[in-house]
Amino acid sequence: MKVKCYIQGMAAISPQHTFDGDITTAPFVQTESNRLVCIEPDYKPFIPGNSLRRMTRVLRMGLTTALKCLANSGVATPGPIVTGTGKGSLQDTEKFIKEIEQYKETALNPTPFIQSTYNSVNGLIALQQNGTDYNNTFVHRGFSFENALVDSMMLLQEGASHTLTGSFEEMTEEHFYIKSRIGQWRTAPVGNTRLFEQHLPGTISGEGSAFFVLTAAQTPASKAAISGIKLLYKPSEERLSAVLQELGADADLVISGDNGDSNYARYYELLGEVLPKPAIPFKHLCGEYDTAGSFALWLAAALLDTGKIPGEWFPMVKELPGEFRKVVIYNHFFGEQHTVMVVEKVNG
Amino acid sequence: MAERVFITGMGMVTAIGDNVAGNLERLRRKESGLGFTDYINTIYKEVLPVGEVKQDNAALFRMAGIPVQAGFSRTTLLGLVAMQEALQQAGISHLQDEPTGFINASTVGGMCDTEKVYFDLINPDKSGEFIQSIHTLDCADCTQRIADTVGFTEHLATISTACSSSANALMFGARMIKAGMYQRMVCGGTEALTRFTLNGFNSLKNVDRQFCRPFDQQRTGLNLGEGAAYLVLESESYAKANNSTILAELTGYCNTNEAFHPTSPSPEGDGAYAAMKNALAMSGRTLEEVQYINVHGTATLNNDISEGRALERLFGTAVPPFSSTKPFTGHTLAAAGAIEAIYAVLAIRNNIIFPNLNFSERMEELQIVPETELKEDVIINNVISNSFGFGGNNASLVISKYEG
Amino acid sequence: MEELKQKLKEQIIEALNLQDTKPADIDDNAPLFGEGLGLDSIDSLELMVLLERQYGIKVEDPREGRKILQSVQSMAEFIQSKQQPA
Repeated sequence: MKVKCYIQGMAAISPQHTFDGDITTAPFVQTESNRLVCIEPDYKPFIPGNSLRRMTRVLRMGLTTALKCLANSGVATPGPIVTGTGKGSLQDTEKFIKEIEQYKETALNPTPFIQSTYNSVNGLIALQQNGTDYNNTFVHRGFSFENALVDSMMLLQEGASHTLTGSFEEMTEEHFYIKSRIGQWRTAPVGNTRLFEQHLPGTISGEGSAFFVLTAAQTPASKAAISGIKLLYKPSEERLSAVLQELGADADLVISGDNGDSNYARYYELLGEVLPKPAIPFKHLCGEYDTAGSFALWLAAALLDTGKIPGEWFPMVKELPGEFRKVVIYNHFFGEQHTVMVVEKVNG
Repeated sequence: MAERVFITGMGMVTAIGDNVAGNLERLRRKESGLGFTDYINTIYKEVLPVGEVKQDNAALFRMAGIPVQAGFSRTTLLGLVAMQEALQQAGISHLQDEPTGFINASTVGGMCDTEKVYFDLINPDKSGEFIQSIHTLDCADCTQRIADTVGFTEHLATISTACSSSANALMFGARMIKAGMYQRMVCGGTEALTRFTLNGFNSLKNVDRQFCRPFDQQRTGLNLGEGAAYLVLESESYAKANNSTILAELTGYCNTNEAFHPTSPSPEGDGAYAAMKNALAMSGRTLEEVQYINVHGTATLNNDISEGRALERLFGTAVPPFSSTKPFTGHTLAAAGAIEAIYAVLAIRNNIIFPNLNFSERMEELQIVPETELKEDVIINNVISNSFGFGGNNASLVISKYEG
Repeated sequence: MEELKQKLKEQIIEALNLQDTKPADIDDNAPLFGEGLGLDSIDSLELMVLLERQYGIKVEDPREGRKILQSVQSMAEFIQSKQQPA
């Protein structure tokens, strides 16, 4: 899709210090675990206690990120609310499955069932912000957030002045174990700083929430522009190369979804071959998850907005580019859903 | 000028039939598909009626034309059966001939299978073939297996907005056509009964122990159902160039949110009212030009009040004939929007209005009553199809007769 | 009865995760829903689950539930009426 839209404001909760403060001064959070966990803010300033008491973790994260994003963007109403999540509230799903068993299908609390519904975060945002507009939730692994973005860009094209577009994802201990059974994670602890030292089978898991207010028109507050997006399902190398070339040829910075996993490293090697440009990774910051692409978009916009790449966040990159105006993000989720996004500098 | 969007193929499987013709036959004969489950392991086996597809998984594999294999959940199989029919009816033998997107809808993915092996999945002492169903945990699994089996390689998406999911899938696909991204899309949803959802709705105390009674004063809740339905959507220019058989036109749609409560609609039906009103405005049709409304009509206490009020607010004293087909199929959640969109097309093409079964007493809150008999030889040019759900998600579609 | 009401208040606070509320804050006759404690229809379902899990009392009809769950007093009276041997 080649319609341009603008990021008016954004917010992210991630395993890094992304919620408050400035990317150029925030310290890089190092871990020694193969599971990167979000740094959660105090939710009380955002969510009334009476609502907060029932909400599980990913609902709090998603809702709070959305609310902070709206506040950062200075828009009065959310407008259309479009989100993506690969797994929704795992905690609630797990809890309800277990309670069905434990209580033998009787005397069940409905709350985990309600909250396990993938669109529950959207409902909560709408409820708290009185957002009666369009409301949609995509649940397709590595295409979840990107479909939300495509939907939002269509809405802007159809005449919406702005949209609230985002993602939310959590990893639980139980689900981490389940996915370890099919070899998604490294078997030995690798820590996020050494993730790219050696490509080996498996990666590190992550989680996070990122929201954006997108506008059709540029404003003085616009942080960056999204000028291209493409979703490719199990593409051939030829097709992938052609799309990378088409969207990324004139970019001056590449953000790569490389996650150190040798099983699917071929695609990221191809990225380097097709677009031999300065490149930075991001999965050492947020880990691998269905909607990690939203973190990459947040990162691209933050870097373009500040004009600087904080060296401390990228110790593995030998030479960081000084100036960059056009960023291409390439990511895939375990070799199936491939996405390319183009983000450009605005306002200066 | 954006392209018009035509429906050129349909496929479905529900408790009342394994294909579109079978569904129409049972609707005409006023035969409900509700009964007790053969396949769900639950203490409510003989307590809570459901709209279950009669075929077991082995039969579904045969109907889908693929060998029995691990990793194909019932959700996927139901979807595949409906998909094969939709493609066949649209005369599509090679999806590669024209880039075609696939927008699917699901509320719990392959939970029907996941829930049977979940405790083994989290138990390090257990291993075996069940490991292959790890991916059925998410909603994309069924979409991708269907895509891979029939050959979709273009845009894929899975939508999950509870009971309005597949109405939103149709809307998203239609908008992609209007945006000029694709000339052809296949959209719909698939849903298999699970112990998880049955207990979920039961914990909300809105499942009826009798066959559900939409818009009836004595109604006490819904019956769950399962099924799948897909519709092939084509742009006007493609459909004409391709000489496609045009079954109907998708002339209007709207998605709104109630912003009222996590599971209940507003008592005055604000979201439902806005969704119907805006969808109709988009279609360019007047209130008088709507001859039938296939209501969401779940028979929960709240839905029917809210939806009924919205109808009365929008149409005043001239509410068109309306009925809920949930007493035939049960509430098929993510598949409901697409199943009922097909029923809307069938109503238009066969000049019939389907009866709202199990109705006997008007609700005290409303002046209106649903159509209870099969009405034949009625000219139907425009149908509104409603799908409302959890999280305040409302979707209305307007489906119209194709008139060149 | 007093003992039952005190226990009920503790159980309500725990079941509904009313973090900033203490048993003494809940008046026996204050409405649990709307104004009072500010509970909603999902809480009412959870309170019915509480009755079932803690006291073995099943409330099937949500409309009946509304009457029982008006206040701690009404809940306690209902529990007592069910517990008294017939």
